[in-house]
Amino acid sequence: MNSDSVQHRLKPHPTQLIDYSKALLFEFEGRVVQAQEGDTIASALYAAGVRTFSRSFKYHRRRGLLCVAGRCPNCMMTVDDVPNVRACIESVRSGMRVRRQNAWPSVEYDALSILDRLDWALPVGFYYKSLHRPKLLWRIASPTIRRITGLGTLPVETEREDGQYHHEYRHADVAVVGGGPAGMSAALSAVKSGADVILIDDQTSLGGNLRFNTQTHSDLSGVKENTGYKVSVELSQSVHDSGKIEILSSATAFGIYEDNYIGVLRGDVLTKLRAKAVVVATGTQETPGVFEKNDLPGIILSSGLQRLIHLYGINPGSSALITTSTDAGYHTAIDLMNQGVRIAAIADSRANFPDHLQQAVDLQSEGVLILTAHAASRAEGGRHVIGGVVARIVNGKLTTEERQFDCDIFAMSGGYQPASWLLEQTGASLSYDDSIGERVPRTLPASVFVTGEITGTHELNTLLVQGRQSGTEAANKALGKSINSDHHETQISVKNSRPISAPPPVGLDNAARRFVCFCEDLTAKDIEQGIDEGFRDIQTLKRYSTVTMGPCQGKMCLKAVNRMTAERTGATIDEIGVTTARPPVQPVPLGALAGPSHIPIKRSPIFAKHLEMSAEITDMSPWQRAYSYSSPQEECMAVRERVGIIDVSTLGKIYVQGKDSGTLLDKLYTHRFSDLRQGRVRYGILCSDDGTIIDDGTVARITDDRYFITTSTGNIELVEEWMKWWMAGTNMCVHVTNVTSGYAAINVAGPHARETLSKLTDIDITADNFRYMRFKSGTVAGVPAMFLRIGFVGELSWELHFPAEYGEYMWDALMEAGREYGISPFGVEAQRILRLEKKHIIVAQDTDAVTNPLETDSAWAVKFDKDDFIGKGSIAAAGKRGLKKRLVGFIIKDSQVVPKDGDPVVIGDQPIGHVTSSRMSPTIGRGFGLAWVPSDFAEENREIFIRVGRQNFSANITLKPIYDPEGKRLRS
Amino acid sequence: MAFLVPCPNCGERNVYEFRCAGEIVTRPNSDAPQSERTAYLYLRKNVAGEQREWWYHKLGCRKWFTAIRNTVTNEVTETAWPDETVA
Repeated sequence: MNSDSVQHRLKPHPTQLIDYSKALLFEFEGRVVQAQEGDTIASALYAAGVRTFSRSFKYHRRRGLLCVAGRCPNCMMTVDDVPNVRACIESVRSGMRVRRQNAWPSVEYDALSILDRLDWALPVGFYYKSLHRPKLLWRIASPTIRRITGLGTLPVETEREDGQYHHEYRHADVAVVGGGPAGMSAALSAVKSGADVILIDDQTSLGGNLRFNTQTHSDLSGVKENTGYKVSVELSQSVHDSGKIEILSSATAFGIYEDNYIGVLRGDVLTKLRAKAVVVATGTQETPGVFEKNDLPGIILSSGLQRLIHLYGINPGSSALITTSTDAGYHTAIDLMNQGVRIAAIADSRANFPDHLQQAVDLQSEGVLILTAHAASRAEGGRHVIGGVVARIVNGKLTTEERQFDCDIFAMSGGYQPASWLLEQTGASLSYDDSIGERVPRTLPASVFVTGEITGTHELNTLLVQGRQSGTEAANKALGKSINSDHHETQISVKNSRPISAPPPVGLDNAARRFVCFCEDLTAKDIEQGIDEGFRDIQTLKRYSTVTMGPCQGKMCLKAVNRMTAERTGATIDEIGVTTARPPVQPVPLGALAGPSHIPIKRSPIFAKHLEMSAEITDMSPWQRAYSYSSPQEECMAVRERVGIIDVSTLGKIYVQGKDSGTLLDKLYTHRFSDLRQGRVRYGILCSDDGTIIDDGTVARITDDRYFITTSTGNIELVEEWMKWWMAGTNMCVHVTNVTSGYAAINVAGPHARETLSKLTDIDITADNFRYMRFKSGTVAGVPAMFLRIGFVGELSWELHFPAEYGEYMWDALMEAGREYGISPFGVEAQRILRLEKKHIIVAQDTDAVTNPLETDSAWAVKFDKDDFIGKGSIAAAGKRGLKKRLVGFIIKDSQVVPKDGDPVVIGDQPIGHVTSSRMSPTIGRGFGLAWVPSDFAEENREIFIRVGRQNFSANITLKPIYDPEGKRLRS
Repeated sequence: MAFLVPCPNCGERNVYEFRCAGEIVTRPNSDAPQSERTAYLYLRKNVAGEQREWWYHKLGCRKWFTAIRNTVTNEVTETAWPDETVA
C-alpha cells in the first residue's frame, strides 16, 4: 500500500465502503495517487493528504471538503476533461485523470487569490453599481471577469464522442426517490402490495445516513438488527433480495415533471421514468454555520466528517472543535473520539444542556468541555484551519465573551433543511414548523407521497413505520386500489424526536468573510447589504445577489438566507418563503439532455439503383435523393432532346375515397374537383384559411368515389393531417389514406417517352388515346401501374405509380427499354432547372408563409364561384385590396451571370424584392429564374436589377415560361 | 411539458406524440364580414384554466380528437371524438 494512502486510514470496520485489499491508481495533477476500491476521488485525495479541493468562485479562496455528500460546490474537479464533477460522490476508476479548477497557475499557488484582499471593492450587486457607465466599460470588463470567475472550463479541443450519452425510458408503478431507511422501507412495502418499484438513490450504496449510524436502537419494528448501520445493511439486503425492486444507484433524480415524469441521470445515461405514484424520501440536508472564515479547509459539516470516518475509514485529524445547534455535534464528537481525535470543546447554540442525550452525558463525564449557549464566532488559519473562537450567545446574538481553541478540524452543524427541491417541483407546499425548526410538507398532489426525514421525522423506528405506510399507500394509488383519503395528513403529522435546533447566530455583526453562499462567494454582509438596499423579498434578493444561483442551488445557504431575511425584515420565515425550486436539482450536462444524435433518413425503394449509377446523393430532409448522375445540364438536355427518367417515389401519395370525396376536395382545394371527370387529372392548390399556399399537387379521379392525390415531398404529413382535420366532426362519407410508402413512382419524360413506354405497357398511349392531364391504369413490364400524363418538366411525360416492391425492377426495365433512344436518368437538380424553365413553382421554395395564389399567377386555379373553400374569404379580400407583390420570371442580360437563390432585386441600393430560384438555362444559355417584385413591376420585358455580390445586373421580366410557352411539347 | 394525454383510440400516451391545434373556434361562413373572419383567424380567448382544444395523435393513430385541458396545470380531464359541434 502506498504510504500516502495508509497514513490517514483507520482500521477496517463494517460500515466502510472501501476494500483495503484492492488498490486502484489514478492520476492527480501529474502525480499518481493510490485509492482503495470503494473510494471516491475525494476520499482518496483526502487520504493522500490533499486538503484544498478547489478555489472559490469569486475570491479564489481555498476550499476543502464540506458536505461529502455531493451537495456543496467545494470539491468540484475536472475528471477526464469533464468539468465540475463532484469528487466526493464520484467513484475512483483506475487510470482516471483528475485536476482541480478555477485557479491560475495552480490551486496551491493561485495568483488570483489577490481578489480575496479586494473584497471591499466587490460589494453585492457590484456589476450593477460600478460597471454601467460608461457603457463601453462593461464590454471591456466582462471578458476578464468571465475568465477569472467561475468553475471548470469545457474542453475546446477534445470533441465529445457522439454516442457518449444515452437515453432510456422506464415505467414503474411506484418510483421511490431516496434510498435511506424510509425510502427502502417504502420500496419494500410497495413491492409487497404488488407494485413494480424503481428505487433511485444518488449515493454509491443504499442506506443514506443510516450507513454510518453506530447507535443502538431499541424495539425496531420489522427488522432484526438494532445497530443503525446493521439495520441499513439488513434493509439494503432485503431490497436487493426482493428481486422486484430495480435499484438505480449513483443516480440523481434531477427533475419531476407533469404526471410523474422523472428525469434521472446516472453516469452517461439519462433515464426518463414515468411512474404512476412517487414516494419522495430525499431526507434532510445539514447546513453550515455562518461565522468568520467558516470556509477554511478543515471546517467540515458534522455529517461530512462521519462519512469520512465511517464510509471511507479516514482519520480526519488530531483535534476537533465542534459547533452545533442540534444533537448531531455530540454524535460526531463520539465518532471522532473513538478514532483518537481530541475534542477541544463542543459549542452548543441551544441554551440548555441536552440531558435527553446519553452521548452528551457520556462526553461530559469523559471531561469534554461543553459550552451551551455558545456558537462559533470565527475560525483561524490561512491554508487550513488551525483554531477557532466560540462566543456566548445572549438574546440570539453573539457577545464578545469569547474562548479560543486550537484545532485542525472544525466540525459544524447549523441545523437541517429538508431536501425538498424535487418535492416542491411536484407542486407540494411546505411551511415552517416552529417546534422542530424545519420546513415540513403541508400539501401534496394526489399521486405524490412523502416519507422520511424530509417530513420532520428523525427517529429510526418511526421512519421505518412511516416508510412502510407510504409505500403501501403509493402502491395502492398506482394500482387503482382505494387509499386512505387523508393519507397525506397522516404522514405529515408524524414527526418527532429530533430536538429543536436553535438557529446559530450569524457571526458577529459586520465581521467580514462570514460565508453564506459557498457557490457564489457571498457573505452575510453581502446578504445584509442587499436586504438593506431594499431587496427584502427573497426572490428579488436572489436575482440581485445571485444567492442560491450557484451549482448547489441553495442546498447549503437557503436556510440561512431565509432566516437572515426574516430577522432583518421582521417577517416570519414562511412570509419570506424560499426561492422557487426548478429542475435540475443537480447540474446535468447538456450532452446528457441532448442524448445521442438520431437523424432519421428515408430512402426511396429505388435508392440502390442511384448508388449503382454513382449518383451524387443529396439530403432533402428526411429523404436522401439523387442530386445528379452525370451533370444536371447534360441531364436536362437528355430530357429535352431524348428521354429521361427520375425517381419521384418521395412524392406524398394519398387516396381519398368515399361518396363525399368530391365535396371534401372542393372544400380544401382552391380548384373544383367534384366535377372532375373519371380518368382526368387536375392541378390543385391547398391554402390555409388565411389564404396562404400550404401545398400543391395533382388530383386524379380514378373512379366516381376514388381520387389519387400527390403532395410535395416534404408535405405529406401535413396534408394528411390537414385533410383529416377538416373532416373531423363532419358526417362526410370519406376516407383519407396515406399510401406514400406503398408506391414507388418514376416520371418518364422527353420526346421519346412514348416510344420507350409503349415497349413495356399493355395500354394504348398514343397521342389521341392518352391525352395530356389524363389518368389510366395499366401495366408496365407486367407490373400494375397508375399512369398520370402530366408535365412538371415541360415535356411529354408520364408519372408512373406502382407497388414499391417493383421499384428497382421497373427502373431497370425502363432504362433497358429507353436505351435505343439514349435514355438518361435525371436527378432533382435537373428537374429543378427544367421546371423552372416552365415557370412551375415549388411551394416553400418560391412561396413563403404569406404567399397567396393570386400573387403566383395561379388565379386560374382558384374558383371563387364555389360556395366556399378554405381560404376563399382571405384570398378574395387580398385580391380586393390589390396585390403588393408578384412572382415573376426573369432573364439576366449578361450571359456570364447567374444569381443565387435569395439574391435581392434592387433599385440602386434599395431592395424591392428577391430571387427565389435561379439557374443557368440550358435552353437559352443565360441565368434566369423566379423573383418577387412589386406588382407594378410585373410587366413583360420590364427591366429590373438583381444584386449579385456587390454589383447590380440588369434582367428582364418575363411573365411567360421561357421554354415552350404555349405548352405544345407537353401536350404532344 | 411531459403530461399524459388519453387518446380516445390508443389510451394514455406521452404528450410528445401529439400535436395540439389550440382552442376550438367556430369557422364563420365565407360571406361573413372581414372583422368576423379576422377574429376567427387571429383572436383567441387564451384562457388560464380549462378549455376545449383540438388534438391530433401525430405519432400514433393519426386521428383528431378534442380534449378539455387546464392550460395552467396541463391536466387533461376529458378527451372525445369530434362531433358536429366542432365541425
